[in-house]
Amino acid sequence: MSWAAHDLEPYAIQRHTRWKIAFVPLLLGSYAPDMMTKWFVYGIHLGPWDLKASNPAQFHRGWPGFGFTHSLIYGVAIGLVFWKGFGSKLWGISFMIGEWAHALTDTGDTVGTMLLFPWTFHFHFGAWAYAGQTGRLTDAAAYFSGLGGMWDLVWIVYGLFSWRVLTRSYFERHVYSVDRSWSFANRAVPLGALLVLYRAAFFYGTSRWIAWTIWAHVVHHYPYDLSWGGPHWVHAEHP
Amino acid sequence: MTEADDARFRRPRGRELVVASGYLAAGAVYVLIGVAFVDFLFSVFVAMAYLLIVAWLVPLVVRRLL
Repeated sequence: MSWAAHDLEPYAIQRHTRWKIAFVPLLLGSYAPDMMTKWFVYGIHLGPWDLKASNPAQFHRGWPGFGFTHSLIYGVAIGLVFWKGFGSKLWGISFMIGEWAHALTDTGDTVGTMLLFPWTFHFHFGAWAYAGQTGRLTDAAAYFSGLGGMWDLVWIVYGLFSWRVLTRSYFERHVYSVDRSWSFANRAVPLGALLVLYRAAFFYGTSRWIAWTIWAHVVHHYPYDLSWGGPHWVHAEHP
Repeated sequence: MTEADDARFRRPRGRELVVASGYLAAGAVYVLIGVAFVDFLFSVFVAMAYLLIVAWLVPLVVRRLL
């Protein structure tokens, strides 16, 4: 599982892809696999009910379960809904690329993803521990103590080096102008507010990386373990 | 001007630095709140609303008042 990478990768993809890409569906695609699943992985309280998957890793990444949301075919399927159902090829392809980025990035942990679903093989590099089953706080502590957090840091540094993609002129020339949904939104929301919303995922990814790192290592003193598959002080799930 | 030209690295200057320092300040406050109340860190929608308030709405109101 990755945290800030899913917020930051869309900016790099937008910058480097030679095709026309729409940022909103790209970001939506980058968030989509976890939108349907993560609340049930960590569990929520609804009045008297506690809702939580009995086997969070299986539910999140496996089959039977919702692991298909982290496959390439899921990006194609939802992309086709945007293209054929709503008539926007641009949104369809952009969503698919964002979703693929998420599915590929999550192969970095010890559970990995069923990239080629319906083939249920889990592609995984095992670089950092999957600890979603431990609950969101231990998961955060583990993630920001291992190579997953460092992988996020790569994206933050890269993003800072590419800071000009966050400027107003870049937004107007290369983001707003390629996707009509921005001008549609601009009928109700001023351009300045849309620019802030465009920057929000970068802000969120970077700020929460810093906040979780401080929380885990300054407030709580969880030990860093940058060894492959770490941190080994947490139980890592495997496929 | 191509997309690559517009994104090529150079040092920020003038007004760009002013904008960047505003976001840095907003980020510092977000981090402080987040470390104190970690629930604040879990939602991108909360972050969007926060940023919209501190980076757009507040400056807009201040400009109108001045």
